[in-house]
Amino acid sequence: MTIDSTQPPEPVDDVEPLPLDETRHHFSETLDEIKRGMVQMGSLVTENVRRAGDVMLEGRLDLAPAVIEHDREVNRLYAELEQTTFETLARQQPVAGDLRFLVSTTRILYEIERSGDLAVNCVNVAQRENGLPESPRLTALLNQMVSECCSLFAAGVDALADMDPVAGAALDAKDDVLDDLVGRYYAEIGRVSEEIGLETSIQLSKVGRFLERIGDHAVNIGENVSYVITAEFPGDTHAGVAEYE
Amino acid sequence: MSESEPDMDLNGAPDAVDTAAQPASGDEPGAPPAIFDVEKLNVYYGDFHAVQDVSLPIGKNQITAFIGPSGCGKSTVLRCFNRMNDLIEIARVEGTIEYHGVDLYGLSIDPVEVRRRIGMVFQKPNPFPKSIYDNIAFGPKIAGYKGNMDELVEESLHKAALWDEVKDKLKESALALSGGQQQRLCIARAIATSPDVVLMDEPCSALDPIATLRIEELMQELKADYSILIVTHNMQQAARVSDRTGFFNVELNERGQRTGHLVEFDETGKIFTNPTVKATEDYITGRFG
Repeated sequence: MTIDSTQPPEPVDDVEPLPLDETRHHFSETLDEIKRGMVQMGSLVTENVRRAGDVMLEGRLDLAPAVIEHDREVNRLYAELEQTTFETLARQQPVAGDLRFLVSTTRILYEIERSGDLAVNCVNVAQRENGLPESPRLTALLNQMVSECCSLFAAGVDALADMDPVAGAALDAKDDVLDDLVGRYYAEIGRVSEEIGLETSIQLSKVGRFLERIGDHAVNIGENVSYVITAEFPGDTHAGVAEYE
Repeated sequence: MSESEPDMDLNGAPDAVDTAAQPASGDEPGAPPAIFDVEKLNVYYGDFHAVQDVSLPIGKNQITAFIGPSGCGKSTVLRCFNRMNDLIEIARVEGTIEYHGVDLYGLSIDPVEVRRRIGMVFQKPNPFPKSIYDNIAFGPKIAGYKGNMDELVEESLHKAALWDEVKDKLKESALALSGGQQQRLCIARAIATSPDVVLMDEPCSALDPIATLRIEELMQELKADYSILIVTHNMQQAARVSDRTGFFNVELNERGQRTGHLVEFDETGKIFTNPTVKATEDYITGRFG
């Protein structure tokens, strides 16, 4: 075929833009890496809550160093992922869903990291008390609380892994169960406080507070996932606002 | 000759080159080896001192971006890397640019060979008014390529992420392609002669945003095989695509001339999150320029 170089055809616009994953493959990979890192952090924290339960309920003080070691890894991942997120925000000019994901990442990272600290706090109480007092009803309630707390936090991490926008509602219901258990646990502490002493009562109350807060953080993770997908926080309350009210 | 270890013979006389020269190291621990080492580069156009005292290493298999306001000398510096300024009669280059440890401006160096090793892609896509196939085959033919040309054309188009779009119309005019496709064709043409460096002077400024992102994605793929230097007015592009960034600025010298100089050169992540020099921060945050 001959080509008439004197009459160049009009260039046409690029046809059919490729899907984002093909056009910005490297950027998409970074977002995936951040998500995988958060899920890994979340799994470590879930494991640590379970381990903290063993320390408290079975008197396994020998597991305390492992809890602290795992929390160091959580903190390391937190710093690393926060830096990656910060740099990605600065360098990739994310918009829309990508922007919501990265902004939510900074919040979710905080929720996970803080939950890790609370698991360590539970272990610190057990160490300080040199094991928790033998009180069958308290132990049974605490056992249920740890179990609910682990299950709730794992569900929050699953919502994140699946980017499931409706998991938030289920998390809320589970959190109500945990809150109810914590209320009964406080009542039981009140009932036996003279028997176990004021200092121990205060320390045990703190454990209740720590587990209840871990549950709240799990709910916040779910709400942030909803926000990434739907651009709205479930219900009328903004997680961040609720946090400070 | 493999692409990863280019023959350092830039003048056709191997014994004239210091074969003991090793690639210089980057200046930071853990930095990739430098493919270029620039020392006190000064460029003059007649009496006009265009660029003053630029020194920096360019990492192998990295994307290095030069940013800065108009007239800061970034394109002038870029053109020094393949001796394009030789084509401007009044241009004069002082200082040294070492390429794999060899002085690019040494007396025995053949600038044509330099430009084969160090290819260039320009601001405006400039395919030859020939077929897509001939655009790619042109350079290798001139260079006396003896291998299978069809394979070379296909490989080059694959590397430039263009093959699937043009494989059924290789004999059609390159000028019928869209702007973004034309620019990827120019990249394919640049890599057909097996360079190990590709210089890009504002390669996306004539393209729409999607075509731009595709070129940027392509650059990420290409850096496995090539070292890339890019000059861009679009600092967001430098932020997205590069590993290291040099910020150039312009200031009046003692003779009242607007001379360009390198203000800061660092990891791109550092430049765009915590630059060391205030002028860099002012520029990237849009406070001046």
